[in-house]
Amino acid sequence: MRKVCYILLTLAVCWFAAYVAHAQTADLKIPDQLFAGQGFTIPTSGSGDATFYLIGPGGVSKRTIHLGDEIKVASEETRTAGRYIAVLRSGGEKNSKAFFVAPDKPAALNFLARPSRVPVAQQNAISGVAFVFDDYKNLVTAPAPVNFSLSLEQSAPTTRTVPAKDGIAWTQMNSGRSQGAAQFVASLPSTDVSVRRVVQQVAADACDLHMKAQNTGKAILVETDPIRDCSGNAVPDGTIVTFTEIDNRGRSTMDARVKRDVARAELPLSENATISAATGVVLGNEVHIGNGATGGGR
Amino acid sequence: MLQQSLAPAFFGAFHKINLKNTIILPCARTLWIVAASFAPFVLPVLADNTPPGVQLSTSHAVPRQVEDTTQKAIVRDYTAAWSALTDALVNNDAGALDSAFIGIAHDQFAARVREQLKTGLHTQMIDRAHNLEAVFYSPEGSAMELHDTAQVEIQVMDGGTVIHSEQTTLHYVVLMTVAEDRWKVRVLQSEK
Repeated sequence: MRKVCYILLTLAVCWFAAYVAHAQTADLKIPDQLFAGQGFTIPTSGSGDATFYLIGPGGVSKRTIHLGDEIKVASEETRTAGRYIAVLRSGGEKNSKAFFVAPDKPAALNFLARPSRVPVAQQNAISGVAFVFDDYKNLVTAPAPVNFSLSLEQSAPTTRTVPAKDGIAWTQMNSGRSQGAAQFVASLPSTDVSVRRVVQQVAADACDLHMKAQNTGKAILVETDPIRDCSGNAVPDGTIVTFTEIDNRGRSTMDARVKRDVARAELPLSENATISAATGVVLGNEVHIGNGATGGGR
Repeated sequence: MLQQSLAPAFFGAFHKINLKNTIILPCARTLWIVAASFAPFVLPVLADNTPPGVQLSTSHAVPRQVEDTTQKAIVRDYTAAWSALTDALVNNDAGALDSAFIGIAHDQFAARVREQLKTGLHTQMIDRAHNLEAVFYSPEGSAMELHDTAQVEIQVMDGGTVIHSEQTTLHYVVLMTVAEDRWKVRVLQSEK
C-alpha cells in the first residue's frame, strides 16, 4: 500500500511539473488584428530563459527572452504583410503560433500607362493600371479608391474614380481630339500620392486626302493639300503618301514624305494619265492629265 | 572415399528441404520488413522530387482573356518560382531567387534568406498543390494577378533542431509581370 501511494505521488509530481513546464510556454497571446509596421507585445509566464523566434515572409529573428517578461516585437519586424510564425522554446518545450499581418493603409502607387503614343479620337485606346501599396511595399488588398485623370493642355481633363480590388485599379480612356502630350495621372484621394505618365497623342489617319497635279513640261508635279486627320490635326512630317500614275505605258508609283503638312512629287511626263494618291488606308482623289492639261481631281 | 559416401547423403538431405518455406519466404519477409521500416524515411524524399500539382483557372480574369500560351507560361513559371523559393529558403541561397522573382517579392525573400543565415535558421517548404485563379490580366498583357490556394508543409530548423513543423493551406495574392523571356513573381503575399 505504501508503495502504491509512493508511485501515485511520484506520478502526480511528474504531471504537475509537466503542466507547469507547459504553462510556461503555452498560449502565445498575439493580437487578432495586426497591420504592417505595427509593434506589439506577447505576455509570457514562468521563469528562466527561453528562445523566441519570429519567422515572417520578409525576415526572421531569434532572441533570448526571460519568461515572465513581455516579448516586445518591434514595428520593424512586422513590415512585411503576410503569415508569421512565433515560436517560444524553453528547454525541451516549444510552442508556436501562426498569425497574419495585414497591409497598412494605401500610401503608394505603381502605375502602368499604355500606350506611350496613341492616335487622337480613339475609343478606349489608353489603358491605365494602378497597383496600390502601403508604406512598406505591401500590396493593399482592401478596397481603396484610385483617381485617374487624362488631360491635355488647354482642355478639360477626363477624370474617373475606380475602386481598387485586390490591390489593382484599372481604367480605359478615349484619346482626346487634339494632338500633344497628354498627362495621365493616377492618384490616391485624400493623400498627396500621385503618379504621372505622359501619353503622346498624335494625329490619326488622314481625312479627305486631296491633291492637284500640274504638267510642267518636263514632268507632272503632284502636290497634296495640307493633310489633316478627321479632328483637324496635321499629320506628322514623314508620313508617307503614295502617288500612282497610270497611262498607256503602264503604272508608275512614287512615295513622298509629308513635309510641313503637304506631300509633293514629280511623276514622269505623260500625255494621258490618271494619277491617284493614298496614305495608309486612306485613298485620295484621282486626277486626269491630258495634253498639256492641269488636273484638279475628281 | 568418405567424401564420396557422405556427398550423396548430404545432397539428398538438402533436396528434401523445402526451399520455398525454409529460405525464400523468410528472406523475403525479412527484406520486406527492412524495406518497410525504411519507407517513412525514403518515401518523403522521393515525394519531395515530385513537382506540385498546379491547377490554373482563368475564367474570371478581366479585362483581358488569358491566351493558351500565356496560361502554359504562367503555370510553368509559377511552378519554377516555388521551386526557386524552396531552394532559397532551405539552402539559404538568395541567388536562387533571381530567375523567378523580381522587385518587391525578390527583395523580401532575399532579406529573409539573409536573416536566416544570420540566425542559423533554415526553412524546408514542400508545396504539394496550388490552385491558381487568375483574377486580373492587364489590357496590354504585361501583368497578371492570381489567387493561389496552396497546400504546403513547412519545417523551420534552428541548426539541426526542428522548431516548427506544420502542414497547412495558405492563401496567396500573386502578382506576376513579364520580365525578360518569362513571367516573374513581383508580389507573393499570404493572407487570411
